[in-house]
Amino acid sequence: MAFAKPAATLRSATGIPTGRLAVWWLLASEVVIFGGLLGTYLMFRLGHPEWADAAAHTNTWIGAFNTLVLLTSSFTAVLAHQAAERGDGKTAAKLLVLTIGGALTFLVVKGAEWTIEITAGYTITANGFWSFYYTAAGLHALHVIAGAIIMGIIAADAYRGRELQRVELIGIYWHFVDVVWIFLFPLLYIAK
Amino acid sequence: MSENHESHHVNYKKIYFTLLGLLVVSVAGPFAGILIVTLITAFGIAIVKANLVIQNFMHLKWEKRLMKWMLTTSLLLMALMFAGTSVDILNHEGRNWVNVAAMAAVERGIEDGEGVAETAEVEVVAAGFNVESMFTVVCATCHGQAGDGTGAAGAALDPRPANFTDPVFWETRDRARIVNVIANGATAVGGSALMVGWSASFTAEQIEEFADYVEEFRPEQ
Ligand code: HEC
Repeated sequence: MAFAKPAATLRSATGIPTGRLAVWWLLASEVVIFGGLLGTYLMFRLGHPEWADAAAHTNTWIGAFNTLVLLTSSFTAVLAHQAAERGDGKTAAKLLVLTIGGALTFLVVKGAEWTIEITAGYTITANGFWSFYYTAAGLHALHVIAGAIIMGIIAADAYRGRELQRVELIGIYWHFVDVVWIFLFPLLYIAK
Repeated sequence: MSENHESHHVNYKKIYFTLLGLLVVSVAGPFAGILIVTLITAFGIAIVKANLVIQNFMHLKWEKRLMKWMLTTSLLLMALMFAGTSVDILNHEGRNWVNVAAMAAVERGIEDGEGVAETAEVEVVAAGFNVESMFTVVCATCHGQAGDGTGAAGAALDPRPANFTDPVFWETRDRARIVNVIANGATAVGGSALMVGWSASFTAEQIEEFADYVEEFRPEQ
């Protein structure tokens, strides 16, 4: 058999399509990256009761709104996957664009939130809590940006009915970004 | 491409609304004002939410076992890191070691960073200032309850915390220097950075009270 496309696109030597295996492999490494960071935060937070004073300054409502935005974008991403499975590339592309909209909303809200906090003097060097706050949320925001860009490329293909299997792959990644936020939200905003 | 996916009849909308419901509960939880309720609604629900997303949106439920092993390995690595390092990070004191920096950070609360300094000061003032108990909480860990420089955390320091009961100490000290050190740290008089300044946490009057208190340790000639 000869393949006109990279092996990852269509092969499934393990019984799992290789592209999907690769995405999960990436996520397994992300688990360690985010897990290490959040685990460290947790240890320090438990060892430093005074961090609660700093955490009291994060805005739960903004955090909750962004959680809502990400959950909704996960929903549109999974609907895009469903459409792609039906072979409906146009609908999949539209749903991906909605998902990108979610990513952008998230980033705009985050930008506004950080602006308020930084102008109030809560900078990344203010103390240990704020260092973790900006590092963890910043690393997460970089993932949101990367996801939005990749989704744009995949949506453009899907609209023309091409590479529909990728809609599922970016979806899996996107849900992971959502899951990380699901843990960041209570860690940074609720536990005060 | 959907070889092992056709058979899933997941009601995505139902999952989505369940997630939103859980979000509402996790935000509402802290309003009860009970710590354990907050912890359960915050972290218990986060786990439930994450699981819903992972199983139903990411379709891990239907993945081959290989994938689950891979992720389990990652989680085990994380747990290993936590288990290996948490004892040293969660505690600030152990057999033959003291994490002075961490202890001092806990004691002085949040005093770094300007915006934050104000809140720390307000809290200290609001709590009602009593120089004796404040010395016990803040200074005695290094200087000792008796002011002789034998506090638990002080034992590990180099230089050792000043011994206020030592006549030799007082030969070279005057009131202005004591006030200056308590407000601005020993670096202000060419001493060690281990003795930090407290002007961000206490008012000028309170610093004077600390100076009075320190002078009480001075032995009679
Ligand atoms: C982290 C431990 C630590 C804490 C907490 C601490 N000190 Fe000190 N202090 C030191 C050390 C170490 C020195 C010796 C510095 C040197 O020799 O350069 C010192 C020196 C001093 C001196 C003498 C400085 C001089 O050379 O004239 C005074 C006065 C003093 N501390 C007062 C206080 C007061 C009051 C508090 C509480 C508000 C306090 N310290 C809290 C560690 C500490």
